[in-house]
Amino acid sequence: MAVPTPLKTDTASSVLKTRPGLVNWLAISPLLLWLLLFVLIPTVLLVVYGFCGRDGLGRIVYEFQWDNYLRALKPPYPEIFLRSVIFAGLTTLVCLILGYPVGYFIGRSPEKVRNFLMMLVMIPFWTSFLIRTYAWISILAQEGLLNGLLLWAKVISEPLQMLYTPGAVVLGLVYNFLPFMILPIYTAAEKLDNALVEAAYDLGAGPVRAFSQVILPLTQSGILAGVMLVFIPSLGMFAISGLMGGGSQQMIGDVIEKQFGTANNRPFGAALGTLVLIAFAIGLWLTSRKQKS
Amino acid sequence: MKNTYFQILFRGYLLAMLAMIAVAIVPSAQAQSKQLNLYCWSEYVPQSVIDKFTEATGIKVSVENYASNEEMLQKLLGGGNYDLIQPSNYTVEALRKADLLAPISEGSVPNIKNIAPEFTELDCDKGNKYTVPWMAGHVAIVVNTDKVKDDIKSYNDVFQDKFKKRIVVLDDSRELVAWALTTRGIDPNDITDENLEKAREILSKWLPLVKVYDSDSPKTALINGDVDLGIVWSGEGALLQRESKKFKWIIPTEGADAFVDLLAIPKSAKNKENAEKFMNFILQPEISVLISEDFPYTNPNLEARKLLKPEDLANPASYPSAEDQRKMHFFHDIGTKASDIDALITDLKGS
Repeated sequence: MAVPTPLKTDTASSVLKTRPGLVNWLAISPLLLWLLLFVLIPTVLLVVYGFCGRDGLGRIVYEFQWDNYLRALKPPYPEIFLRSVIFAGLTTLVCLILGYPVGYFIGRSPEKVRNFLMMLVMIPFWTSFLIRTYAWISILAQEGLLNGLLLWAKVISEPLQMLYTPGAVVLGLVYNFLPFMILPIYTAAEKLDNALVEAAYDLGAGPVRAFSQVILPLTQSGILAGVMLVFIPSLGMFAISGLMGGGSQQMIGDVIEKQFGTANNRPFGAALGTLVLIAFAIGLWLTSRKQKS
Repeated sequence: MKNTYFQILFRGYLLAMLAMIAVAIVPSAQAQSKQLNLYCWSEYVPQSVIDKFTEATGIKVSVENYASNEEMLQKLLGGGNYDLIQPSNYTVEALRKADLLAPISEGSVPNIKNIAPEFTELDCDKGNKYTVPWMAGHVAIVVNTDKVKDDIKSYNDVFQDKFKKRIVVLDDSRELVAWALTTRGIDPNDITDENLEKAREILSKWLPLVKVYDSDSPKTALINGDVDLGIVWSGEGALLQRESKKFKWIIPTEGADAFVDLLAIPKSAKNKENAEKFMNFILQPEISVLISEDFPYTNPNLEARKLLKPEDLANPASYPSAEDQRKMHFFHDIGTKASDIDALITDLKGS
């Protein structure tokens, strides 16, 4: 319908200059509605609740105060946030080390094998993440499967303390987020033109150089996407640190979730949530500025 | 041409909007009458009881769980659609003060006659106008005697440096503060700034010794051998005793916190009659005994107790001696002071 002909260029450019018509607004209104309902309003609520108080039953009292934000900036909360960043960073690193070879290998496999291998990556997702986490509890417990096996094989003489340690938390996070690293790397590796890799070899590059100067830069987008997909959700993750860390390795997500649950303190939870949001925004801004320069 | 394009788009858009509204409205209209939304503690209501209720009445029950009274309050007051809740006695006090409970229709729960008199005259609801008792219990110490040879008698015996990272406790701020206060002989309902400061001092030594915080199923860490001592719900203690005699149940010399959990109907309930039917249903002795079999707390239902196995009646965590019962005390509603307790524990646990 809107076939641009040389005659109509004038009107086309004038259409662009005028304000969007009703049709255009209608066309994007579902998206605007979505953003309004699920992004803008919740964010405003979060920021506003952070400045409110609450009564004995935990209901919001609309009285302006700074207390929640001030408390969130005092110890131990900055430490808990730092711990979460470290846990999430470690998780991302381990996922990258484990996920890159897997994603690359699957992406470079023949098409039939590729789909089968992708299925294998997805199969654990058919079970609820909570059930998979509980399975780890019975594997890692002091009188659990792994300790039983090691004791039986006489590898160890005393049961090892594996559950309820920081390592258990990172293990739980890696286990749950690994596919999010494999998938984007797989997509990038699949698109990688084999001719370029061959050209690198033909021009005298060894395997290390071919990898670092050709393969790695060409799959960089996949790595970046994977890092984002693993780091951001694992930073805000809760439940895993409670179940596998015993509640004494709290992450910021646990503390926030508690405020909306057992602690019954929504204003404080909202203040913490707002600060985490701000930290994210600053982090993203700094990385994007670095990339530009 | 442009006109028809616009019309098609507009009609399609209207239809999509209508469909969205219809999807949002229809299930809620259907959900009435044969539905019961039960909001209860985790590990407290057996599935068999719910199935039997649906079988007997045709009412479908959807269950949601919580792990603390405060969590339940938050969801309920946040607009949660619940027909029946299961608050503890002190939370019933708070809910009634705020006028948030609906009275039970007269004569709709005749089976209340099965309940022992001490549970029908509770301070929070004398004469059961708003609630019916579900189960009663207390919080006390459990010790794995295979691993711990010391004679543990009190909270202070549990929180010793040599038991560092071998302890599980309830993830419940009110309980933690109460234990600390009882060791100083302070009434756990007397929450003043001064007393909270004393509790902070004690808990800042205790909490670093704790390995696991778990209100849902603290027995798991004990059974798995990850910890050797615990301060847990009596029902969990009774299950541990069933599991193995190596687990010993000890009422602390300083005194123990006791509670009664009750079924209550929020004012906002949409299916009040179904909630009353459920109340009456679970007070039948043969149903009540099923609850005791799965979750061996103290059953307030005298007729149901007659159906219990002798070894279950002899379980000290389920049915403590009269002497032990004298050491127990109830929580009362402490109003806005509850926030100070939460803040104290959140700060201490985080550090």
